Amino acid sequence: MNRSPTSLVDTVGAGAAAPAACADRGVAGSIFNIQRYSIHDGPGIRTTVFFKKCRLRCLWCQNPESQQEQPELFFNAEKCIGCGRCEKVCPEGAITLRDGRSWTDRARCTGAGACVEVCPQGARSLMGRVASVDDIFQEVSEDAIFYQESGGGVTLSGGDPLAQPEFALAILKRCKEAGYHTTLDTCGFASWHAVETIMPYVDLVLYDFKHMDPDKHKQYTGFSNEPILRNAKGIHHELKVPMRARYAVIPGYNDGVENATALADFIANELDRSIPVDLLPFHKYGGAKYQRLERVDELADTSPPSEAALTALRDIFLSRGLTAKVGG
Amino acid sequence: MNEMSAIDRLNDNEPAAPLQATPRLQRLLAKVNPKSYPICIEKARLVIESYRAHAGLPQITRKALAIAHFLDNRTIFIEDDELIVGNIASKPCGLEVGPHGPTWPEEDFTSLLQSGYEISSEDEAELRALDSYWLGKGRTFYERMGRVYDDERIWPFIQSGIMLPPWAKKDEGRGHGITDFGWGLTLGYSLIVVDFEKVLRHGTKAIIAAAEEELRNLRFLQPGGLEKAEFLQAVIIAHQALIRIANRFAKLALDMAGREQDPARRAELEEIATICAHVPEHPARTFREALQSFWFTWLMIASGTAAGGRFDQFMYPYYKADLEAGRINPAQAAELLAMLRLKVMHSNGVAGGKTQRDKWSGMAKWHNWIIGGVTRDGKDATNDLSYLILDAAKLCPTPHHTITLRVHDGTPQDLMIKALEVVKLGIGLPAFVNDQSYIDYFTGEGASVEDARDYAIGGCLDGQLPGKSRTNAMGMFVVPLVFLMTMNNGFDSRTQKQLGPKTGAFEDFATFEDFFAAFKTQLRHFMELAAEEHNILLQAQADFFADPIHSSLMEGAIEVGRDALARAMPFENGAILNPVGMINVADSMAAVKKLVFEEKKVSKSALRQALAANWGGFEDMQKLFYDAPKYGNGDAFVDGIANTLYTFWSDTARTFTSIYGGAMKVAGISITSYGPAGSLTGATPDGRFAGENLADGSMSAEQGRDLKGPTALIRSAMTIDQRGFQATLFNMKFHPTAMTSKDDLGKVAALIRTYFRHGGKHVQFNVVNRDMLLDAQKNPERHRNLIVRVAGYSAYFVQLNAKIQADIIGRTEQHFAGA
Repeated sequence: MNRSPTSLVDTVGAGAAAPAACADRGVAGSIFNIQRYSIHDGPGIRTTVFFKKCRLRCLWCQNPESQQEQPELFFNAEKCIGCGRCEKVCPEGAITLRDGRSWTDRARCTGAGACVEVCPQGARSLMGRVASVDDIFQEVSEDAIFYQESGGGVTLSGGDPLAQPEFALAILKRCKEAGYHTTLDTCGFASWHAVETIMPYVDLVLYDFKHMDPDKHKQYTGFSNEPILRNAKGIHHELKVPMRARYAVIPGYNDGVENATALADFIANELDRSIPVDLLPFHKYGGAKYQRLERVDELADTSPPSEAALTALRDIFLSRGLTAKVGG
Repeated sequence: MNEMSAIDRLNDNEPAAPLQATPRLQRLLAKVNPKSYPICIEKARLVIESYRAHAGLPQITRKALAIAHFLDNRTIFIEDDELIVGNIASKPCGLEVGPHGPTWPEEDFTSLLQSGYEISSEDEAELRALDSYWLGKGRTFYERMGRVYDDERIWPFIQSGIMLPPWAKKDEGRGHGITDFGWGLTLGYSLIVVDFEKVLRHGTKAIIAAAEEELRNLRFLQPGGLEKAEFLQAVIIAHQALIRIANRFAKLALDMAGREQDPARRAELEEIATICAHVPEHPARTFREALQSFWFTWLMIASGTAAGGRFDQFMYPYYKADLEAGRINPAQAAELLAMLRLKVMHSNGVAGGKTQRDKWSGMAKWHNWIIGGVTRDGKDATNDLSYLILDAAKLCPTPHHTITLRVHDGTPQDLMIKALEVVKLGIGLPAFVNDQSYIDYFTGEGASVEDARDYAIGGCLDGQLPGKSRTNAMGMFVVPLVFLMTMNNGFDSRTQKQLGPKTGAFEDFATFEDFFAAFKTQLRHFMELAAEEHNILLQAQADFFADPIHSSLMEGAIEVGRDALARAMPFENGAILNPVGMINVADSMAAVKKLVFEEKKVSKSALRQALAANWGGFEDMQKLFYDAPKYGNGDAFVDGIANTLYTFWSDTARTFTSIYGGAMKVAGISITSYGPAGSLTGATPDGRFAGENLADGSMSAEQGRDLKGPTALIRSAMTIDQRGFQATLFNMKFHPTAMTSKDDLGKVAALIRTYFRHGGKHVQFNVVNRDMLLDAQKNPERHRNLIVRVAGYSAYFVQLNAKIQADIIGRTEQHFAGA
């Protein structure tokens, strides 16, 4: 495991660990999706590479399959016919048949994926795979003609790309060499060293603000927002990378006037009024993902914010002289 | 904006708002989507009356006399609020039946009535009596075709369904019940764009005068003089009848004005009278007159497909002159163009018997108005009317007429965005076509670049040169049937006959290349039969469907003195060979190559057994074949096979000659035939069950098999060399959330431009939401106005058959929500 002082993977909070897989395999990393014709993650037509792994554990996470670094099993119970093929092939013996359908002991599942191969119904799929920088570069390059025509490029999202910083850096470097516009979608929870090493290869940062209160931030995501806010300032003032602020509006958690006001003030006063703000309303599409991961959805009872609430929040930003809109 | 404020004035000074339909438009709009459609038998009655009276005359003369008799005696009316006049059927939205052959057998007729058509019992009885004119008399062109179909060779091929639909009886062809609409008698199955300018600029009196002059100078010293004289006489008879009916409208308008209490409407009726007394006989002097002259002319050429041609180009001089003279403003022009849309909406046609109707699901109408593109000298042709035609579609979001935007490098981004704003309405139009690819097609076949740049679209998407070309034979050739026959050594398991040559048992092919070569031998064999069928069809139509009106609006008509079906055209594309399901064959070939020949995971005999069992008991094998590489994911392996197949098709077609001389050409348009074609086709190695739909369009992926998003799908389509095709068809479906902001629309525009810059020919979009479609299936009454793009046309979703509905829902939805 690489822990030299120049490593991009050093601690910003308690318990941070270097990604073993990444260090061992050289420049490779773990991703869970490559989304083409991604049109709401930066300018033009883009390809978004969704990284696995995130250091934060936001209660409202809408991509829960992205949190862990290793592959995770998605199970669509409605499709399962209980044929038992998966039970026979599981190397860990983690699968049994219960009530006419298969049941996976998540504690024993290693994400090997043998069950996925044999499922005739497509009820089982694996979220996440290890990919080399070469593979990813090749895949995103397939759409280069679309970037050219539309002024688009490549976006790294997640998870949080900064949780696999060497991997992110290597992809970004290749993209810049090829002349692609690059966007980084991050919550900014990383060492300053990682941030300042990566940012020269980033044309636009989509910066997610979860909560402005350090204690609430810790309560909802597991960590304080202190390094996040510090990095935001550094990115804007020192590294001067263009930024869009993103504010996922989660009813009951971070949609209070006080929080929105604090965020608006922070952007207007500590960063810059030229930074546009996107209010991203909480949606319910994440719910099914929790089901498929067989995890509890903490926000199962939360409804998307009303249009009126969103408008009121947006107006707080507008009143600070900021540009703000609802939606990516 | 000037245009907006003008619209506001029309809207009684309402505050600034987006384009809004005026109350007049709203009232007219309400009339075009009735709960049921009346069946109109007047055309059949009058036409057959005339045919009976002139039984012994040459066909072209009988046609001209029938047109005249019909126009002189048909019901005419002017509806409230109308400014452009000329009713199509004798009843609003009526379905005109019976002038070209017997109507439906009882069972078919019942099914038609159940699908929302109505007829009085007296009319039904009269219609049945009229059928006796046709039945058993050898008078239909199908009977003429059927009589030469020999039992050894052609008849088994016709029964096989390779050319869709299979015939059941030699004297019934594709099924009785050809409908037709409009004032003229159709030129058969024409994909044609006439030269409207002949009428707009010079008036029909000029055509009559030219024909009279030619007749005076005609000397009967060479072969063909008689036919020429008869043709010229027919042209004169038909055009004079057109002038007479325009004058009937002028008189009707005056009579109505005399009774009208409302002074505003009285003035309108008086103006209508003045206009109809002037056009189409004389050259149009204003935009209004040009529109009316166009409408009368269009009614004469309206039939199965009736193209509007390069409408923004030939109408622009009239609009510009009016605008400069202060006679019109943009809002008024947009309203008139919207009224024209509504006139077209009154046309009603369902073709043929039930299978034929399924093939053209949903009252298919291919009335294609073309906008944009380049001028004859290569400059951007966009003008104010290009935009206003799109505005009219916003004002009247009806499925017809359809609009196709010609895109080239210099197409203004504003026009692209406006077009996409219309797409976003969910009415499935406009379609986008690539100028370069179409122009390359025409120049590649020998047209001058100036003529090529002037192309328009006849039918769905077939490129035609206005006044210079027409396509009259373009079948639906079901390629997967030939693939399956190749696997069975030329034996057709559906009809249980040895139809193809014996190219070897599947089990005996040592390599994939051997198998592929056998397929090519089979395909060439059946394409040759299709070419013969096309030539028989062309010859049978040439006599039966002669039409002096269409023909007189083509280049050199008077000088040559022949019907458009009786002569070669300046650009000759009379017969087109058109494959359906080629993508299923590409996917099947890829799977067979990989799993059977290369990886040897499945034995040849096991695959044959599995297909014969429709995968029953072979579910694991089916999954293997289903998961094999599929076209539509930017996978070079399978995309390359698709390109090889299309190229082979194109090269092979050109080795056959049409009756007009010149090589047969190709297109890739399946319309909605991929449904019925799928019904005939057994299980295929792409993992598909027997009877399931084939891939739609020609460049689209199989339903639900494109899993990597629109850019990968487009990259697959780009691999296919489309230049040699008269048309290709590529459907994409977008969820509305992918087209919310102007920014989103700009990205869709970039998608289109990228595709076109790399060889794409056409793309069209369905923007609907899956839930909406599912609900429409369950509750059709709630969704009567839900419009989807089916193929080259849009249709009311609830009028589509269940199979096509399921397909529309199943087409991969390109839905990419934001972060």
